[in-house]
Amino acid sequence: MVDVIRLSVFRYDPETGSKPSMQSYEVPFLRPGMKLLDALNYIKWELDGTLTYRRSCAEGVCGSDGLNINGVNGLACITPIAGLKQPVHVRPLPGMHVIRDLVVDMDHFFDQYRQIQPWMKATTPLPEHERLQSPEDRAALDGQYECILCGCCTTACPSWWWNGDRFLGPAALLQANRWIVDSRDEAMGERLDQLEDAFRLYRCHQIMNCMEACPKELNPTAAIDNIKRKILARKS
Amino acid sequence: MKLIKEPGSARSGFRDWYLQRLSAVVLAVLLPLSFVVLILVYTGHLDQFGLLDIVDNFVSRLLHTILIIALIVHAYMGLKVMIEDYVPVIGWRVSLIGGMLVLMSGFGIWWLAIIWAWGG
Repeated sequence: MVDVIRLSVFRYDPETGSKPSMQSYEVPFLRPGMKLLDALNYIKWELDGTLTYRRSCAEGVCGSDGLNINGVNGLACITPIAGLKQPVHVRPLPGMHVIRDLVVDMDHFFDQYRQIQPWMKATTPLPEHERLQSPEDRAALDGQYECILCGCCTTACPSWWWNGDRFLGPAALLQANRWIVDSRDEAMGERLDQLEDAFRLYRCHQIMNCMEACPKELNPTAAIDNIKRKILARKS
Repeated sequence: MKLIKEPGSARSGFRDWYLQRLSAVVLAVLLPLSFVVLILVYTGHLDQFGLLDIVDNFVSRLLHTILIIALIVHAYMGLKVMIEDYVPVIGWRVSLIGGMLVLMSGFGIWWLAIIWAWGG
């Protein structure tokens, strides 16, 4: 068991005008099961208060602390420090504009999420209580609804790096599929119309980095394939 | 909230995606046949006259034609996607795809002309 954890953390302060750099830190191994977020918190609270990063729930639910950890995207709060090769290289999510240190600009990511209109669309009259779903129909949402929009998948996708202005990316497309497979949603045709585009949807080349990166072990590639199959089915 | 002003769907992409997969299936079936002929020639099981008989045959010419069309369609779709991926400037992108289309079409017509003019 190591006593000290060595980290190399990306630093960038736009106010100083200096170039981004990697800064080394040494953090004591606090307890078994210690996560990367614990190490970042130790740096922030005990060593260097200027280090900036996002965090909130610290249990893999809010999706705030998506980072590039030793070259692989993941959530700092659920990444055990013990399994990481040292020094642990901690960088912001790739392909994003860095605001400061490990904080990236998520505006475009959430704009793309908004573009898939992530809400239920139904024109049939609202039932007295609620729109019901059979257990089988509800089961179709498993693997879709759990997405926490951390951005780990989208920012791991080379197609999104190259054409992120037009390709919606794995996270937004997984969410689009979540509404397409929802039995209560009545706008599948409209949703497919909005997705059928050489760049918005078909830029996915099934590289599958998204599947590897997802901290919730979801499969955006399969969701994107399902959308393509739906479009194929209505054209064949 | 940030104002979203984006052009929406172009209703494109499906045809390219579909043709690329369809041509891949055709290639998977027909391309090995051409290698079988090549191996037969190199191993001495097929002499020049035997090869000419195969090339001259109407069914062979038809299969050869389908193979060439599938090959060009597949290559065009694949390279088009790569150009779209790596060339961000629209002018360059359209010019390169157009140039590639002209070159590949010319190559295909030339090859088909050889296939159908042979022995005739």
